[in-house]
Amino acid sequence: MEEQAPPPPLPTTTTETLDAATQRKHAAMLDRLSNLQQSRLLSHKPSPIDTPPSFESTQSFLSRFSTTKLAIESDLARIRQSPSDPNPIPDPKSQLQSLSLSIAGLEKFVAENSYFLPSYEVRTCLKSISDLKQTLDHVTSLVIPKKKFSFKSKPTKKGPIAPTSPTQTESRNTEPTKVGSFKVPDLPGFRSKESEVLTKVFKGGGLDEIGEFTVSDLVDCEVRLLGCLRALFVHRLRNCRVYVGPVFGSVLIEEVEGCVFVLASHQIRIHRATLNDFYLRVRSRPIIEDSCGVRFAPYCLRYDGVERDLEESNLNEETGNWANVDDFRWLKAVQSPNWAVLPESERISAVEILNPDT
Amino acid sequence: MGLLSIIRKIKRKEKEMRILMVGLDNSGKTTIVLKINGEDTSVISPTLGFNIKTMAYNKYTLNIWDVGGQRTIRSYWRNYFEQTDGLVWVVDSSDLRRLDDCKFELDNLLKEERLSGASLLILANKQDIQGALSPDEITKVLNLEAMDKTRHWRIVGCSAYTGDGLLEGFDWRPLDERAVTTMIAL
Ligand SMILES: Nc1nc2c(ncn2[C@@H]2O[C@H](COP(=O)(O)OP(=O)(O)OP(=O)(O)O)[C@@H](O)[C@H]2O)c(=O)[nH]1
Ligand SMILES: [Mg+2]
Repeated sequence: MEEQAPPPPLPTTTTETLDAATQRKHAAMLDRLSNLQQSRLLSHKPSPIDTPPSFESTQSFLSRFSTTKLAIESDLARIRQSPSDPNPIPDPKSQLQSLSLSIAGLEKFVAENSYFLPSYEVRTCLKSISDLKQTLDHVTSLVIPKKKFSFKSKPTKKGPIAPTSPTQTESRNTEPTKVGSFKVPDLPGFRSKESEVLTKVFKGGGLDEIGEFTVSDLVDCEVRLLGCLRALFVHRLRNCRVYVGPVFGSVLIEEVEGCVFVLASHQIRIHRATLNDFYLRVRSRPIIEDSCGVRFAPYCLRYDGVERDLEESNLNEETGNWANVDDFRWLKAVQSPNWAVLPESERISAVEILNPDT
Repeated sequence: MGLLSIIRKIKRKEKEMRILMVGLDNSGKTTIVLKINGEDTSVISPTLGFNIKTMAYNKYTLNIWDVGGQRTIRSYWRNYFEQTDGLVWVVDSSDLRRLDDCKFELDNLLKEERLSGASLLILANKQDIQGALSPDEITKVLNLEAMDKTRHWRIVGCSAYTGDGLLEGFDWRPLDERAVTTMIAL
């Protein structure tokens, strides 16, 4: 068997040894984890992950990626020509096998670097890999003759692309959204209101007592959530203004229209939003999916104690991420048409809420 | 291929296990992986593609594939089905509204032929949040008892925030055993 050139040099990943046999080590590890958590809460020093990726590393990643990709493609083309060639390749099967390994190596390479790569690069690389796999399958079917005496009915049954059969997708639409016979309890939240001002102040110093909050099915309302909370779900809002203090975990927003949001959070996901303005402070990159006409500006909420709350939630630093929006529906390097930075002239001035305790 | 070379192949490969980690977006997959690897979890963006973490665990090398769960990229999941030894399904136990979505996607995944032999570990994450459903409640909601009897499965409550339950989940025997049988079948 011929040894093919190995997949591209892969960066070494962190390797952690966990000995599950000993309870002691488990305990030690959990200790370490919680210490880590503690020290994270106490210090605001940026971690290595915070430092922005250098342009160089993206560049060198891309050049290595495309070199390997080209090599694989040209090998595939060569093998494909082979049957009609006067000097056919001796052992196409093993060559194809090693190409399959190379593709897997390339895939791993992308995965290991996807922490720092710009979103569209990741998407493009994923697409390229998926194309390579398809070409490989195609070439394999051309070059390697099928077994003569196999039963034909079986292989045809499992086509290569049968992810979700149409019947499944349909049944989903016709089925009511019930989850078995399970009764879902009511969690804290504002639901089903029209033309109201809804205020909630989250108290308590320890973050441990702070739960999540839901805001759903509101029309023409103003929502004020002051203080720190851990997670926020927003669902089906129309023409509302939503002002929220720091959220220590994530905010998930779905199906909103014509609203203004002022939010600070570690993570923000926006799905199916049309024509809304978002004033954000966010530690990671906000994302939108199936949305259009959404605009972004920096956080501008003021109330008594907002600075303290932001600091307590590790959100006191302006990361500038409010403008680093990833559109999951947009594959290209050029700016997505679905979102924009809100022009300064159109921004609201700071939102100030007085006497939150009353 | 002779018997000896088959055995050699088993020897060489049996220590590597591929674990596929999926679930809806926002369920906490990336946080869990970074947490068990002892890494900083303070800045995590929603996953656009996928991440791999390699960890030594007992006598195995685990390759954990953490694949993004946003709706747009769920169709990529199937690219990772091949050679999966263990399947980890992560649930945000506090996201009650999307539990039907969660059930739908899980049911779909389990229909997948290429995953039919993989053991299934369900992590009922975010147990630290007040009002999160317990593992028992999640079992009912997802109707796990109705699962194909041939599949090894288990549900564990956990919190990537506190670290509780994570190691218990990964220390589950069938995840190991399954790896070995896969290799023997090769
Ligand atoms: N309170 C609490 N929050 C958690 C826990 N695990 C994760 N989170 C938060 O949940 C949010 C989503 O976590 P991620 O790890 O990005 O979720 P994911 O499943 O990787 O999401 P995708 O990459 O989009 O598929 C983050 O804000 C986390 O801080 C947990 O156990 N408890
Ligand atoms: Mg993720």
